[in-house]
Amino acid sequence: MFLQFIANGIVIGSIYAIVSLGFALIYNTTKIFHLAYAVLYMFCPYMILTFFHGLGLNLFISFTVAIIITVFLSVIMEFLVYRPLAKKESSLNIMLISSIGIMIVVTNIISLFYGSETKILNSEISKTFTIGNIILTYAQISQVSISMILIVVFLLFLKFSRFGIMTRAMRDDDVLCQVLGMDIYKMRYVLFALSGLFSAIIGGLVAYDVGMDPYVGMPILVNAVVALIIGGIGRFEAPIIGGFIIGILQALSVWAFSARWQDAVTFLLLIIFLLFRPTGILAERKRLV
Amino acid sequence: MDYIFHIIILINIYIILTTSTNLLVGMTNLLSLGQAAFYGLGAYFSVLALMVLHLTIIPALLFSAICTSLMSLLIAYPSLRLKGDYFVLATLGFQLIIYTILYNWISVTKGPFGISGIPSPSLFGLLYISGIYSFLVLSSVLAAMVIYIFYKLIHSPFGRALKGVRDDELSLLSIGRNVTSLKIWAFTLSSGFIAIGGCLYASYVAYIDPTSFNLDEAIFILAAVLIGGTGNIKGPIIGAVFVVVLPELLRLVGLPDSIGANLRQIIYGLTIILLMRFRPQGIAGEYALK
Amino acid sequence: MSESILNIDSITKSFVKNIVNVHGNNEDERYFIIDDLDLLVPKGKITALIGGNGAGKTTLFNIISGFVESDSGTVLYNDKSNSINISKMKPEQIARIGIGRMFQDNHIFQNLSVLENMLIADSNTFGEIPINSFFRTKKNKEVEENKIEKAKEIFENIFGNNNSFWERKNDKAKNLSYGQKRLLGLTRLLMGNYQLLLLDEPSAGVNASIIPQIMEIIKSFVDDKDLTVFLIEHNMKVVLDIADFCCFMSHGKIAALGTPDDVISNDEVRKIYMGA
Repeated sequence: MFLQFIANGIVIGSIYAIVSLGFALIYNTTKIFHLAYAVLYMFCPYMILTFFHGLGLNLFISFTVAIIITVFLSVIMEFLVYRPLAKKESSLNIMLISSIGIMIVVTNIISLFYGSETKILNSEISKTFTIGNIILTYAQISQVSISMILIVVFLLFLKFSRFGIMTRAMRDDDVLCQVLGMDIYKMRYVLFALSGLFSAIIGGLVAYDVGMDPYVGMPILVNAVVALIIGGIGRFEAPIIGGFIIGILQALSVWAFSARWQDAVTFLLLIIFLLFRPTGILAERKRLV
Repeated sequence: MDYIFHIIILINIYIILTTSTNLLVGMTNLLSLGQAAFYGLGAYFSVLALMVLHLTIIPALLFSAICTSLMSLLIAYPSLRLKGDYFVLATLGFQLIIYTILYNWISVTKGPFGISGIPSPSLFGLLYISGIYSFLVLSSVLAAMVIYIFYKLIHSPFGRALKGVRDDELSLLSIGRNVTSLKIWAFTLSSGFIAIGGCLYASYVAYIDPTSFNLDEAIFILAAVLIGGTGNIKGPIIGAVFVVVLPELLRLVGLPDSIGANLRQIIYGLTIILLMRFRPQGIAGEYALK
Repeated sequence: MSESILNIDSITKSFVKNIVNVHGNNEDERYFIIDDLDLLVPKGKITALIGGNGAGKTTLFNIISGFVESDSGTVLYNDKSNSINISKMKPEQIARIGIGRMFQDNHIFQNLSVLENMLIADSNTFGEIPINSFFRTKKNKEVEENKIEKAKEIFENIFGNNNSFWERKNDKAKNLSYGQKRLLGLTRLLMGNYQLLLLDEPSAGVNASIIPQIMEIIKSFVDDKDLTVFLIEHNMKVVLDIADFCCFMSHGKIAALGTPDDVISNDEVRKIYMGA
């Protein structure tokens, strides 16, 4: 039983890790507390629903088109809301509130068109796969493996590509980047697109397994943010580590207490970290000046 | 007529919520996503006062305000050591923890089933406050009282010191003021007064369940304050009127509730986005969020 | 030398900087901002602290006023009667025992009125707890009126009877010009009950026509109010004009000390300030 819980923890942890990574991509570079990121996670499945069930397209094509549309939505958020605010040099709190505004708008548009009840993409009972006494569905295995691939590709990309170097430079000092002639607004579009891609892929995969409603994004995002804090802000490996820690810890708290208290355990961990180690596990060395 | 009275009572409740939140957001520049938790705690403490301790309305209000303030003190101290986004996150964390506790501690709060049959409170054991007219009077008196108190607070040396925290913490430290204790005061006062709103809500609706006090409600309260405007008295009042009256207007033009509910949320969201971009101090506010 | 008000004893402040070298590896390097610094600040005089950018002047001020904690060493503050070790105290405590600080940028309260900026700086915090806002007692009113009277007097003493500050007392401070904000920031210090004032570049960035006025005010702090002034200054004319003593700071140490004329003739100082 214990191993089964650990396995479940890794599955849920991989979701948190990817969402957290996408959030960190925005937060570390632009300092925007992008709560509207939550809606991208649930937007993609609804697009899949439209193309797959509504228009009757092939599953793979609907998936691809849905992901493209979601990425597009992510970029539109930057174009319509954050970019003008950034040009006005609005404060971060204003960005945060605007982000909440976007979240409310998109969630309710989806709810208006598709209804607020749970929808499912796949009505078949998923096939399972057994290793020892651990049982996982094929959907779960694909979630974990695709997450792993995304993480590895992204980290390599970050380390070695020109874009990765620019991302890390922007994390350190975006004003300096501007001074050095980097077009940071163009960079920001790419970052928003990339983070939208992460969210869309994992959101689509999860919804294919368990279905979705317009409000699924927020709890996942909140956990992902906790993962980011625990991992440590500033480094891109941190949200991944944090994501798996949260996932496994939640699974263990289900095992030890009951599913009802897993959120409380997560947020208690958040508070403990905020109080005693706000820099997270992989702390950046602190600069005093 | 009853319908209009009902709207006014709701407006009064929201005025209490937004005015209290304004002390935190508008006066001290502390953005809190945890206000619904204190609203909820206020409601649950007042149920405790009314149903278990059988208090009359004034002691019940005091009881819930004081208990909620004490709870908020526990939260204030650790959260206020954090700055900016981290403070917002800490309040978000506490909001979710308190919600989880209200939802899952079934033996005490009845969890998702909610508590129904909250008795009408009595005034000094003489007069029962039941029916819409007495609640109209009670809520108006309480809302007026809260507005008066905050007016006094804002225009006092204490209010001046809070504005100092908002404008320039460093400078305030350098002239020998204890910034942390000022923030703690703002935090606990705000939650104490928001509890009065919770108490009013619980006794008026006579039924509470945790979903009225979730993160969405916290965002909603914050949105109401920011739409109306921060930093003065009239801003939050306008915000409260806006968020309560808008859905009724949509209903009046004949939109079915199923569409209206989403549509009004969309309007709130768009209003927030546009205000933040073009008028960050809100419709009638004085100070833009920093 | 006369009695000292501030006794700075072997203060050190360093930080470790993690740098990435050309090979992409991480390296730690320790930088000393302040390196075993000793200094006595004489009482009742104007002492100027000069030095190039990054010499550690502002950090030293931050350590004295409690915003930054030093790695080692002590700062003793000699009050009227006793000496207090302030190296572990919080900024607000240090302000309350009599060390006032003016920051480099105009740290005044932008959204408060000119008058409120003065009142908030008063050393008397009576009435600043919420309970006093509900009950307007006689004491409350008296304290507030006294504060207003005090502010008015200070303005009149410094800027003459019909001064623009008192006329504009209800204007928001953000509507003042940069130079006026600086003057307000200086004047505000008189509301407090300070013995020692730390001024971080009082003449920087303001219109040249205001500088004589600023110098006048600083002189009056010492001559009329018997305060001690310790200031960071880049404008050598100001230093030569008003300072009694001058210390030159370089690489976290005091490199030269004496009267302004002595210090300015020091070779290293000349190199930095005159480019010679």
